[in-house]
Amino acid sequence: MTIRATGLSGIRAGRIILHPTDLEIRASERVGLVGPSGSGKSTLGHALVDRLRQQGRGVSHVPQSPDEGLDPLRSMAFHWREAARAIGVLPDPAQQQALFSALGISGGNMRDRPWGWSRGMQQRFVIAMALIGRPELLVMDEPTSALDPVVAADTMDLLEGYLATRSTALLLITHDLGLAARRVARLMVMDQGRIIEDAATAHFLTAPETHVGKMLCGHRNWRAFPC
Amino acid sequence: MTGLVVGLILRAGVVLTGAALATFALLWHAPGDPALAIALARFDTVVPAAVIDQLRAEAGLDGGFWQAFLAWVAPLLVGDFGQSSVTGRDVWPDLVRAMSYTLPLALAGLLVGLIISLPLALVATRRPGGWLDRCAVGVAALGASIPAYWLGLLLIMLFAVRLGWLPATGARTPVHIVLPAVTLGLGVAASFTRILRSGILDARAQPFLPAFRRRGVACRDIARAHVAPHAAIPVVTVFGLELAFLLEGAVMVETIFARPGLGSFLVGAIEARDFPKVQAVVVFSALLFVTFNMIIDLIYRAIDPRIGEHNA
Amino acid sequence: MTLDTVSLSLAPGRTLAVVGQSGAGKSTLINAILGLVRCSAGEITWQNAPLCRCRPAVVLQEPRSAFNPRLSLRRSVMEPLAARRRTADPARLEKLCDGLEIAPALLERRPAQVSVGQAQRIGILRALIAQPPLVLFDEPLSALDAIAQKQTARLIADLQREEGFAALIVTHDLGYAAACSDDIAVLRAGRIEELSRTEAFVAAPETAYGRTLRNAAFALGALEHAA
Repeated sequence: MTIRATGLSGIRAGRIILHPTDLEIRASERVGLVGPSGSGKSTLGHALVDRLRQQGRGVSHVPQSPDEGLDPLRSMAFHWREAARAIGVLPDPAQQQALFSALGISGGNMRDRPWGWSRGMQQRFVIAMALIGRPELLVMDEPTSALDPVVAADTMDLLEGYLATRSTALLLITHDLGLAARRVARLMVMDQGRIIEDAATAHFLTAPETHVGKMLCGHRNWRAFPC
Repeated sequence: MTGLVVGLILRAGVVLTGAALATFALLWHAPGDPALAIALARFDTVVPAAVIDQLRAEAGLDGGFWQAFLAWVAPLLVGDFGQSSVTGRDVWPDLVRAMSYTLPLALAGLLVGLIISLPLALVATRRPGGWLDRCAVGVAALGASIPAYWLGLLLIMLFAVRLGWLPATGARTPVHIVLPAVTLGLGVAASFTRILRSGILDARAQPFLPAFRRRGVACRDIARAHVAPHAAIPVVTVFGLELAFLLEGAVMVETIFARPGLGSFLVGAIEARDFPKVQAVVVFSALLFVTFNMIIDLIYRAIDPRIGEHNA
Repeated sequence: MTLDTVSLSLAPGRTLAVVGQSGAGKSTLINAILGLVRCSAGEITWQNAPLCRCRPAVVLQEPRSAFNPRLSLRRSVMEPLAARRRTADPARLEKLCDGLEIAPALLERRPAQVSVGQAQRIGILRALIAQPPLVLFDEPLSALDAIAQKQTARLIADLQREEGFAALIVTHDLGYAAACSDDIAVLRAGRIEELSRTEAFVAAPETAYGRTLRNAAFALGALEHAA
């Protein structure tokens, strides 16, 4: 089922940081939302999640760092029960086990508080919580920047493996075109609160149309920058 | 856990020893001959030097500082607070009687403080910076800056003299506790309101709360399960400090309202230079303080176990 | 975190990148070089004298919190000179500002009034103002977006060629390390796991762990396989 949202917008402190924007994401599509910092990517992600939630659609959001996803005073088990209750499903041990082993965190002690787990495991736990309700869309905001590269790469690989067999679509928000290019099939480029480009990844990488798109492509990996 | 409790008890022991030593040293070096003071308090007339020397020996004052200190501390370890140097009676029963007036007053003051500050802080934080919030902050600042002796007199003038609703002084009936408790409680409420308010505001600004909202957790559940525990941490911390304020405030309030209790016990003992009594009050308050803070330490760790981790 | 018999050497004008996962001891290494933690054994020297005598400069990870928020940036930038009882050379300041693309007016602002990218370039300016022979970079780019990262790295490299300082870069971004260093040291659990010339490392790491790090960088798009 295709996800559509129209007229998403955002204002902070009297300044428009997101102009009215329409989005369309097909089932099980992998979409990247890239742009320089301050371009309104995260705001668009939040607005999209809030809108779809209002419409009663299944959507989950994974924030940038586990510090923004977990309460340090509450146990992992508490988080899990609360997340299940929030979307109105009964805790299902079999599904939990499946998610945990898919994301490689079966070994974690659910009675621990978040800081008893490594950051990589915390982040995967947040992702697992986001998948409890089998959402139509998973929005990930800079999923790798708070983790070290080895852990981040493993996490992305495991998540991709899990999503491959499901219809959940993925919206990957990142400033790093290099990362997005390896993970998504379609790219949207944002600048100054607007989506200025929307193209298949392969096409965008070879023929970016806008100035910002060209900048992103030109700076997408370090090999072009021997210092 | 056992190691933690042992550590806390050891720390408490150090604090108590320090308090006992400091009090004893201060009184020992106070100007004037303590034996003469005892003689004057006991006989109320001129006493021959031989009697004074005898009193000195009786009170264990003739063997130097450390001997006198040990003679006082050793029985303390088994709970013997010694005898009044003036009346010769045991200090402990008198101290218990004084506490039986002061402790209810302190607890009532604490209760009044909580009853006022909790709703005030909740209302204030509903819209931070709004007029209700400003009023609450203003009331709290006012409460903190009004001295208890002045507030007590105002309350007496209004409720006892002008309106005649409540008794002013003494402690004959349970109603007698109302005005002193309110006097004490308003001071407590002032500091609690500020701490609660900033605690709640800080807890609401936690970076992870938006994620819980986006996860679909109901606002009420977020407030109960995630904001409240974070807001409780600074409040629990302040509770320990507040005990000192309560004991000190109770002594003052008791004097204003002419209530029997720790206040009159202490003032009487100091005026009579009844050192065992003064020392008993100090050591007992220190013991209360240390015990209370130990309990708070444990509560603290129950709310946020990271605190224990850092110490370890 | 501890370091276990780490031996490194760095010649004037050269760049050494230290890479590794979180907790490998990268920050401890920086602190040891700066003399902020005392080494239980071993020594750190520069041209046969204790290193701290040459007063290495450091560029920190979080640009804006690396400045005193109450001082103007100009005051902060001048502090290394004040500490050495030297007066500012306006020509040198102007030249560095030029090289780092800092508009002189920016220096009159407070840290909160400039962007993260600007703050980081001013942090580099502060590090270089007193002409230190060695500059330590502690994750200098991780707070910046992909475009600003590459632009800043280029500025650092250009200045290094001009000024001839030695640079020690601690980073988790192997892409950056590969593009901007002469040698790469892989730090793992407080030990140097591998020390190689950069080109050799990128082409074929000697150790299994080195390969893990490199493959993670491939998986995240930080490095690209040679075409």
